[in-house]
Amino acid sequence: MANLFDRWAPLMAQRDALFGDGINPFNVVMDEVLSQTEATIGGRHTILVGTNNYLGLTFQPEALKAAHDALDACGTGTTGSRMANGTYYGHKDLETALCDFFQKKHAMVFSTGFLANMGILSTLMGPEDFILMDADCHASIYDGVRGSSAQVIRFKHNDPADLDKRLARLADKPGNKLIVVEGIYSMLGDKAPMAEFAAVKRKYENVYLLSDEAHSMGVCGRYGRGVPEEAGVEDDVDFIVGTFSKSVGTVGGFCVSNLDNFDTLRLVTRAYIFTASLPPSVVASATVNLEIIKNGGVLRKRIERNSEQLHSGLAALGLKIASDVSPVVAVVAPDPVTAIAFWRGLIEAGVYVNLALPPATPFGYCLLRASICAAHTEEQLDRVIGIFADVATKLGLIDTDTQKVAARA
Amino acid sequence: MNASAEPSPDTLATLVKILAGFNKTGTELKPETRFTEDLNFDSLVVMEFVAVVEDDFDISVPLNILPDVATVKDLALAIDKILKDDGR
Repeated sequence: MANLFDRWAPLMAQRDALFGDGINPFNVVMDEVLSQTEATIGGRHTILVGTNNYLGLTFQPEALKAAHDALDACGTGTTGSRMANGTYYGHKDLETALCDFFQKKHAMVFSTGFLANMGILSTLMGPEDFILMDADCHASIYDGVRGSSAQVIRFKHNDPADLDKRLARLADKPGNKLIVVEGIYSMLGDKAPMAEFAAVKRKYENVYLLSDEAHSMGVCGRYGRGVPEEAGVEDDVDFIVGTFSKSVGTVGGFCVSNLDNFDTLRLVTRAYIFTASLPPSVVASATVNLEIIKNGGVLRKRIERNSEQLHSGLAALGLKIASDVSPVVAVVAPDPVTAIAFWRGLIEAGVYVNLALPPATPFGYCLLRASICAAHTEEQLDRVIGIFADVATKLGLIDTDTQKVAARA
Repeated sequence: MNASAEPSPDTLATLVKILAGFNKTGTELKPETRFTEDLNFDSLVVMEFVAVVEDDFDISVPLNILPDVATVKDLALAIDKILKDDGR
């Protein structure tokens, strides 16, 4: 009989050929977490520039205290589902805090962001309905819609005209339609044209809009409510899905909405019902950090400044950056072998970024993906840019003349 | 897919014409040509190809049917069904 894992043999062979021995993204261990921006990896002091910890709230003192208090008061876990014994006062407080934060009537807390997308997208639309999703959506959205009984149609990434064309074809069909986009896309940091999408939505009947604000919550908008707030179209976005594992600095997922009867979903969403609820300590820290994020204008200014510094610093070296200035700065490497050598050179010099290879990336890009933290200092980012320059020069990706120009600029 | 049914010659001809632009392997395009094995289509190419098919035939091709589509003939039959369901 064939070995159970044989069908992945080509993938494993590819991994071995690409990575060989030594450190690779699959065996990175944080031996010691020194702060939001530094850790010890393989005995080496490392600057972390790939954590999605955009606001740097993982050690926020009030959240730490709330988590400690909840831990002492309620224990290490709920040992139950939201529907059974796993809803504590903290979970209800967090849902109230989410309604307040997003200025929506209803909120549902899930155990992870992945589960929030899985749950909502597999449940919301029925057999007569249609889901129109941006082609670059996250794996959790793809897996969610795969579980839906609706027909699923993709439109071109960030292309409202392409969406319009596809909605026009469905205009005579009776079912409801759900448009699914993300505020900021994780791999390249590119932003959805949310106002234009909202305008397309308004042209048709029975069309709803869902936005995943995983990478834009806390970062975009005056009060951190994400791209819909920034674009001034919050009323057009019927559902916001998000996560606590990025700007909020802990773990968990949610969906908020103004639609009546939204709570029906608590009775029918399997990813909500059949999984254990979040531990009280996690819930408590998320609740406290939402308040910090709402009033986090200073933190957002720092992200903006830091994004600008890293983006312009790396671009000045002559490196290709995949998108405009954003909290995600993705450097494009010419091929997988070079990307891996680049990643390894960085980590051996004490800089951690994410390595992202096709098919997880758009355009078949090989990426060194950095994400900005509000807690990064100017000195840290200068050092990161310097190390990028050294490694890229050794790999022959940039010439030293470009660097001299960059240094003078 | 219904193995005994035959797709409309028009659908097949249009499909082969579209496919020519995506055929990087130089494989001869026949009804039994397989997208993954013969044409080396990966998920990104499938996406671009499906978008062109949708625009050319002015139809919606749901992702849900793609797991059942292995060959050019499978896709032609699926398109015929979508056109018929649309009353065309």
